[in-house]
Amino acid sequence: MDLLRLIFGEAAPWLASLSRYILPLVCVAIVVRCIRSMLRERYEPETWAYLYLPGEIMVPLRHWECILGRARSVDGQLNDPSVDKLHACLIRSATGEWTVYNLGRGATYVNGEEVRAGGAVIADADVLTLGKVSARFVDLTEEERAALLKYRHAPGRRVRPGATMLLLTVLQILLVLQQLVYNEDAGTSVAMAFGILCAAQWVYFCVLRASGQTGFEPETLGFFLTTIGLSVAASSVPDASSMIKQVIFIIAGIVLFLILGLWIRDLRRTKSLNMIAAGATVVLLAINLIFANVTYGAQNWLQIGGFSFQPSEFVKVLYVYAGAATLERLFVNKNLIFYIGFSAICVGAMALMGDFGAALVFFVTFLVISFMRSGSFATLFLAIGGAALAVMVVLSARSYVLDRFQTWGHAWEDIYGNGYQQVRAMSAAASGGLFGQGSGNGWLVDVTAGDTDMVFGVVCEELGLITGLCCVISILALAGFVVKNASAGRSSYFVIAAAAAVTVMMTQMALNVFGSMDILPFTGVTFPFVSRGGSSLLSCWMLLAFVKGCDTRARGSFAVKRPEKFSGGAGVEEPDYGPEGYDDYGGWEERTEDRRTRRGGGRSRRGRPYREDDR
Amino acid sequence: MKKVTNRAAAVMILLALILVGMGVYIFRLVRDGDDWASFYANDSVYTNGSLNSGSITDRNGTVLATASDGGISFADSSSVRTACLHVVGDVDGNIGTGALSAFRSELVNYSFLTGTTSGGGTVQLSIDAELNVTAYNALNGKKGTVLVYNYETGQILCMVSSPSCDPEYGFDSSDSSYSGVYINRGISATYVPGSVFKLVTMAAAIENISDIWEQTFYCSGSTTIGGQTVTCSGTHGTQTVEQALANSCNVAFAEISVQLGGDIIAEYAEAYGLTSSHSINGEIATAAGSVASAQGDDNSTAWEGIGQYEDLINPYALLRLVGAIANGGTVVEPSLLYGRSAGSTRLMDSSTANTLSEMMSYNVEYNYGSGSYPGLEMHAKSGTAEVGDGTSHAWFAGFITNSDAPLAFVVMVENGGGGYAVASPIANTVLQKAVFG
Repeated sequence: MDLLRLIFGEAAPWLASLSRYILPLVCVAIVVRCIRSMLRERYEPETWAYLYLPGEIMVPLRHWECILGRARSVDGQLNDPSVDKLHACLIRSATGEWTVYNLGRGATYVNGEEVRAGGAVIADADVLTLGKVSARFVDLTEEERAALLKYRHAPGRRVRPGATMLLLTVLQILLVLQQLVYNEDAGTSVAMAFGILCAAQWVYFCVLRASGQTGFEPETLGFFLTTIGLSVAASSVPDASSMIKQVIFIIAGIVLFLILGLWIRDLRRTKSLNMIAAGATVVLLAINLIFANVTYGAQNWLQIGGFSFQPSEFVKVLYVYAGAATLERLFVNKNLIFYIGFSAICVGAMALMGDFGAALVFFVTFLVISFMRSGSFATLFLAIGGAALAVMVVLSARSYVLDRFQTWGHAWEDIYGNGYQQVRAMSAAASGGLFGQGSGNGWLVDVTAGDTDMVFGVVCEELGLITGLCCVISILALAGFVVKNASAGRSSYFVIAAAAAVTVMMTQMALNVFGSMDILPFTGVTFPFVSRGGSSLLSCWMLLAFVKGCDTRARGSFAVKRPEKFSGGAGVEEPDYGPEGYDDYGGWEERTEDRRTRRGGGRSRRGRPYREDDR
Repeated sequence: MKKVTNRAAAVMILLALILVGMGVYIFRLVRDGDDWASFYANDSVYTNGSLNSGSITDRNGTVLATASDGGISFADSSSVRTACLHVVGDVDGNIGTGALSAFRSELVNYSFLTGTTSGGGTVQLSIDAELNVTAYNALNGKKGTVLVYNYETGQILCMVSSPSCDPEYGFDSSDSSYSGVYINRGISATYVPGSVFKLVTMAAAIENISDIWEQTFYCSGSTTIGGQTVTCSGTHGTQTVEQALANSCNVAFAEISVQLGGDIIAEYAEAYGLTSSHSINGEIATAAGSVASAQGDDNSTAWEGIGQYEDLINPYALLRLVGAIANGGTVVEPSLLYGRSAGSTRLMDSSTANTLSEMMSYNVEYNYGSGSYPGLEMHAKSGTAEVGDGTSHAWFAGFITNSDAPLAFVVMVENGGGGYAVASPIANTVLQKAVFG
């Protein structure tokens, strides 16, 4: 406050008051810009190779992992009774090498040689035989490869990410202003914390922008939510050491996000750690069960040095990492059974810890992953596994959980007991109106678990319903982004991992928001990025890396390796549009590609291949 | 792969469920937000448990209470503070029916748009603070209540309960004259009604005994019904039913009650809202009375119809009844908020209401004497309700039909004595002030 008085004099309170109405609008602008950017970039399917069936019928291979067979749901349909429903699987490596795996009971041949269990390499002009059908495999030529790269969109042309970052900075300045005016305890440490966050996001942006990246929507939303979270942390415990801790966690989260994102660029490398991740999950859970302290009824806290950790938060990341799988593995029963067992261990351990909320998050994620993983016959297994897990979830509903279930929907009838927290969250949230009381001007944050389990109430109270909804929509936008990207996904691993990651986030958010507002039982789950607490923040940033991993737009994601090499020769250079060149380039696309696709109803999407004329 | 990518849409199910949930949340917020925001734990609007913003005024703008960070301050005048204590409420919320509690969501001034950030609101009550002072002074330290309302608009002009105290100074809790000081006797208590209940029995007789106008009733001071004696306050000789009501003759009404039977009397009490709890402006719940049917026991039935037996009624419920009689059978629901109507309810046929109205006017002409109420076109019924300890509650209820002042009233003095002797003069004093200033 003294600092502000120095700068603005007596106008400071007036400015803070005004800023309360501007702040939600800035939030809306940030979220809307991110969503527009995500939606407006189109995702043309990429074609990575062709199969020529008898009669020169061409089947384009749109992904790096393709199933061939008689079923309608496969990527390359061969309608012949001699072909199994799911007969074979074609997988492209990051280096452009293709491998065939046999999935069905029938045999698969490459140039007449039977494909064995480990798969067989297939190259341009090889003949692939499934049952009685023979097809010619044609890889892309250099020209096609170049054309493919050339016509792919890079994000950021229409909605500039730099401007969104600037808005984010404005948001941070407004929050500091309000904190200094409204929060008696907030001092320079709060201003410094926001400053460091701001610097971190600009460093991140500049480095990645300089390296050619133009897609920043998921991390911008991540930064937005983290900013709101920092505001909550400042309202809650604004002293220097707490703020420093929070900022350290934010930086660590961003670093882990980058490391994990770069790690998953290489699918082979990623897969190689699959079992280790599963092992690490079990070890973490075991450590947790043996050593952790019981806090608020759940045994999920570990004290290491001055920091407390919630191992269950990291288990979420590992679970997604180990739970996703590439296509050829999905159809091996052994893997599936392993996966169900692994899930049961995770949910069971959460139940043992008494962390009902986390158990529920795992269970929903399990359902989504298993739905995506299940082939045809395996569905039955998964359903049984799911039921067994559900029973465990119910078993985990110990007495205090049951109490909460009984309060559910009746919080106002038990304002001194189990409804204590919810009624306060609702009261505070309503009190904020659309624009909020101002950052640092609320009271809910001082109620037990206000800054974590009831954080939606805190956000609505201090920053208003509009900002609260912006936070919810941010998470939903990430989910929508993943679904949109899935259609152009290269490997099922990334699609499954990303879908699982957003499922974790959405489930947590739903339990947090609806739990504290008495629409669901109050289970004490954190709101991704926003709730105060280090472990939760780290895990959310790591989960965000999986979202980046499924973004296959040109220059869209650092977590996706640019497909520069392909079989049959030296790499074709990506057209060098220069740092800003993509803008001019976008103009060209606007005139031709856009119009054609709109009119033609997605001509390039199905049937005819991309750039067929060039052949 | 196609299958996997298609199935990623499963995520959309979760997304859709969350959108539905947010819809539910916003719906509830719009519907209940004012209740949530005015919850006592909301530190934005409560400081140390008492409201920190908003003010309450009477119908003329006289400030009755102002809430600020420093607490709640009341009217400037001590007599106004004392006379309006029960309507306004106290700092600690002991008087739950007071405006400070009942209308707190309006004081909090919650709106969906601004939450509670726009500062407190003003609640203007329909009460006339000066009239309350007059009424409180007229009670002259006796325990009791005075209620006056406009039966055409529903506006409650006077609501006083005694004993009261000055909220700035509190009261001496060891002094028994302050017992029940936090009870608003007008709306939160029930009393033996005595003869004012004869209005109900009379209405039932009008509608159920076809030759009621031909009957005469002989009163020798007492009669034997069901083997036991029913005593009367006087010796009234031979009377018509009009005269019996004006005399408030127990002997006559004992006979009428037996003719009706206990069930019908209880049904009428229920139909007239005497046994149910009412809600003033949707926020203040009144105490429900009770009228039990004395099934088959003629002596008890007689006392039931006279307003004794197990009859208990709430003064506010009686105010609604006389308001309905005054207004042709339809009660305009009383409202404590200035200029705010609260709807209306039909209690009885207009012919029954008009007949009762004429009989209440005849009461004044024949018994009370119109000279007792100069300038007032008085229609009333007195009541002297025996409590059982030798004392009686004094009741006087009715309305005036002065064209510029359509006012209904109930005066009740606890253990005060005779209705006409004690309660009637208080009613006159208050109405004189209300009509002539």
